[in-house]
Amino acid sequence: MIAVQIVNGLMEGMMLFLIASGLTLIFGITRIVNFAHGSFYMLGAFLTYQFSPYLLPGTVGGFVLSVLAAALCMMLLGMLFELLVLRRIYGSDDLMQLIITVALVLVIRDAVRMIWGRNDVVVSMPEGLSGALQIGGSFFPVFQLAIFGAGVLVLAVMVMVIRFTRAGILLRAATDDRGMVALLGINQSLIFTGVFAVGSFLAGLAGGLAAPFGNINYLLDTTVIVTAFIVVVIGGLGNLYGALAAALAVGVLKGLGVLFFPRLSMVLIFLIMAGVLIVRSLGREAVGK
Amino acid sequence: MSAPITGSRSAAPAIPGAIPWRVVIPPVLAAALMLAVLGPGAALVITDVLIMVLFASSLNLLMIYGGMVSFGHAAYFGLGAYGLALPVAKLGLPVWAALALGPLAAALGALVFGALCVRLSHIYFAMLTLACAEITYTVLFQAYAFTGGDTGITKFMAPRLGLDPRLYGLVVLAVVCVCLALLWRLVNSPLGLAIRVVGEEPHRAAALGYNPRTVQLVAFMFAGLLAGVAGTLFSVYHGNAFPDYAGLGFTIDALVMVVIGGLHSFGGGVYGAVIYTVLKTFVSRYVDEWELVVGVILLAVVLASPRGCAGALARIGAMLRNKSS
Repeated sequence: MIAVQIVNGLMEGMMLFLIASGLTLIFGITRIVNFAHGSFYMLGAFLTYQFSPYLLPGTVGGFVLSVLAAALCMMLLGMLFELLVLRRIYGSDDLMQLIITVALVLVIRDAVRMIWGRNDVVVSMPEGLSGALQIGGSFFPVFQLAIFGAGVLVLAVMVMVIRFTRAGILLRAATDDRGMVALLGINQSLIFTGVFAVGSFLAGLAGGLAAPFGNINYLLDTTVIVTAFIVVVIGGLGNLYGALAAALAVGVLKGLGVLFFPRLSMVLIFLIMAGVLIVRSLGREAVGK
Repeated sequence: MSAPITGSRSAAPAIPGAIPWRVVIPPVLAAALMLAVLGPGAALVITDVLIMVLFASSLNLLMIYGGMVSFGHAAYFGLGAYGLALPVAKLGLPVWAALALGPLAAALGALVFGALCVRLSHIYFAMLTLACAEITYTVLFQAYAFTGGDTGITKFMAPRLGLDPRLYGLVVLAVVCVCLALLWRLVNSPLGLAIRVVGEEPHRAAALGYNPRTVQLVAFMFAGLLAGVAGTLFSVYHGNAFPDYAGLGFTIDALVMVVIGGLHSFGGGVYGAVIYTVLKTFVSRYVDEWELVVGVILLAVVLASPRGCAGALARIGAMLRNKSS
């Protein structure tokens, strides 16, 4: 029983990582805490629901296609948002940047409610991925294993890109020191738009992949964004590998928490986040940085 | 990221300590008159507006004067409501005796959470306040046996103490006026100046001998107390308490009010709450998509006039003064 919960937790952790990775990438480069990230996730799920009847319904390939299409749509939306809105406020208060992403959350939520209504929608599981796999004495749902695999794949691609491509080098450089990168004559706004596009793509991808897993409704955005924040904060804002470790840990903790103290597992996770924040602050000065 | 979240361009206006009666009396009289003359339906709307004015002003103290952007201010609103509802419903305390317990619970909560939160600054402060509020919300939501979970606590008292809506509106008006007067005194006292200087220049404040954390904690607690008063008034107004009162929705409402009201002024919370609540009441009568409207307004306000409505009013006032002189 415990083993099953741990495995389930690892899979949920991988989902969490997919969501949190985009959030932490965006923060690392642009220093913007994107509240709308959860909304992009939600839209990704809804668009997957919208696309899947048209793209080879019921098959694994069709599912993958609709998820990718949804993620690409989110990438476009993220780019548009960055170009039209965020670009105008990079220099202003942190508060303004938070507020403007909150505004986007409100707009997207009502738009989703207008288009798809208040009721849950369900994306049916592709046939090839339903059922369970027997390993040892326990059963593991194939779909969750597939999600885990997809998560590992995305992680591998990200690591490769970050380590070995020019874009990855720029990304790392910009995370370390934006000013220096700009001084070297590299177009900073291009990096910002690019990282926002990639982050939004990841949010849409995560939403699409998770779509058959649970009910999709217009309230998904806040639950997702709060959990993603926790992961990002525990992992260290802007730290990709930290987010991976934190996501897996939070996933496992949630899985085990359901077993031992179902009522308080979320409280426990919040407490861990608070603890991490405070322990980090102990090393710093009381004020300022 | 080196200056506090709102303090980067010097914040609150320079004000002499006296209460500007000429600015205050007309709207207060107008509110009292409207409560007395208009029907009970209008009285309910006005009461709602007044409570939100207090709630938004308490956040205004934190954000504008203290330079602390809280993403969990609803926690103290919710604690104010539950601090009243729980003793009455579970311990059988009479309502009048429990009235002070709501704000007290909120102030205590703000003391505990604040002691943790003021260790951080910027975005980390915002995140930790969010976590604290979510803990409060989750506990209220999931401690089903004690708080009734998402069904909340209802029917423990007559809404508005059984008073006529107009009369209760006048009571709320009086309480809100007293609280705002106290707040005004606070921000213009030496302590208030300390809060402002810590908000704007923490290092300089420390060099002047202030302990930034202590000053921030006092501000946090006072803001929590006032939010608790608002929460208690709100709970009495509806005769119930729900976990949502401590949820992200109310936090965002308050943030939106402060932002559209205008950063950098005492009246920002007041204007913002009036505009937001009145607009919400009327718009949501005709269209379902209230949040969409708010989102678009917010985008417009932030992109067009980062100082919000209070800033726009001040600019108009300055223009008029320039013309007349």
